[in-house]
Amino acid sequence: MTIKVIGFARSTNTLRVISCLNELGIPYQLEPPADFAAIKKDDYLANKHPFGKIPVLYDGDYKISESRAICRYLVSKYQGKYNNTILIPHDVHEAGLVDQFIFYESFYYEPVVAKIIIHEIVLKTPESEIAKRALKDLDKVLGVYDKLLEGKEYLNGEFSLADLFHYPCAHFIYSSHADLWDKRPNVKKWLNRLRNRDAWKASLEKKNKL
Amino acid sequence: MAIKLIGFAQSPTTRRVVLVLNELGIPYELESVTEIQTIKTEEFITKKHPFGKVPVLCDGDHVVNESRAICRYLVSKYQKDSKTVLYPDDVHKASLVEQYISYELSYFDPPLSKVLYQEIYAKRRGEPTDEAVVKQSLEELSKTLDIYEKILKDKDYLNGEYSLADLFHLPCAHIVYNATGHSDIFDSRPRVKNWLDKLRERDAYKKTYAE
Repeated sequence: MTIKVIGFARSTNTLRVISCLNELGIPYQLEPPADFAAIKKDDYLANKHPFGKIPVLYDGDYKISESRAICRYLVSKYQGKYNNTILIPHDVHEAGLVDQFIFYESFYYEPVVAKIIIHEIVLKTPESEIAKRALKDLDKVLGVYDKLLEGKEYLNGEFSLADLFHYPCAHFIYSSHADLWDKRPNVKKWLNRLRNRDAWKASLEKKNKL
Repeated sequence: MAIKLIGFAQSPTTRRVVLVLNELGIPYELESVTEIQTIKTEEFITKKHPFGKVPVLCDGDHVVNESRAICRYLVSKYQKDSKTVLYPDDVHKASLVEQYISYELSYFDPPLSKVLYQEIYAKRRGEPTDEAVVKQSLEELSKTLDIYEKILKDKDYLNGEYSLADLFHLPCAHIVYNATGHSDIFDSRPRVKNWLDKLRERDAYKKTYAE
């Protein structure tokens, strides 16, 4: 039975999971809810996600939510089954470092980029104080990342789940703030590698079709 | 060579790691940071944590930071030598533990951290407490705990058996009980109260907080 993902192809969290499925070559079906209101209804809260969020993944009878947990599940179960792509290395020390970089994404990067996305794209208030402060914070974070990426193509040397997690959010705000990313040579090259991956391009096609 | 943990001894993030070290019976040395400037130097930022944060764990030459990543690393490497299971072997069960770890990160920690910052850390820095933030954060946390009350129906722990997901919640919950006037937010919900009581009965918890 094919894996089913409930989510919106244009949402950063769903794109994170779609990218992971594409990277690992796993077949799946995307089932978008009717609209955002549908995921706050009692039925959805009781049966799919108690916090009313997407994505949710079904693998047969098994259900799991939270995009990063879903991706880890996919890696644990399917890495190496459909292709040779490694998203979490087998070596415990390398895997530990990938995990560390995943937390950098969760704590230092995503909250800041999410604020910019919400204010610029969702609320359409790019001049708000929150958006402006978030841009300054992002500038500092990317300064750290530029040093982290010195002498490396990816955060942990080789492409991993940590790099994958960063790209969906970047995609949405890159074009309106290209200078912020591109003024840092290592960050610029890194983003370029991420956006040129076949799996990402396939994920984008999904987003643009739906 | 013993594992070395660098951190503020009483901070919830350091204690998160100490809880795992104690649960798995792993010997370690704590290098207590006393001055925040120590972790903002060029050397610390280059060699230990690029964002100037603690805790940082050194296991021989291997350096890893971010408390939850450190905990997962310790489990991956040392759980097999311990009788305590913090992370199931079965991929389906393990992934649900990951799901609950994500709930902690997304829905529990953010509002709770805001309350703790306003009521404890802001005061230490001489900043005024923003009561509006405290109120709004407590409301958000209440909604999360209402959902946890449902999740914990017929279960003592989030995924049925005790796991890393439960442990991750404990350090900030401990501070609520011991240093703020908001313990009713947990205790007014019988299943949440039962869950936290059980977590605080564990030997590893008692050892961590006796130190």
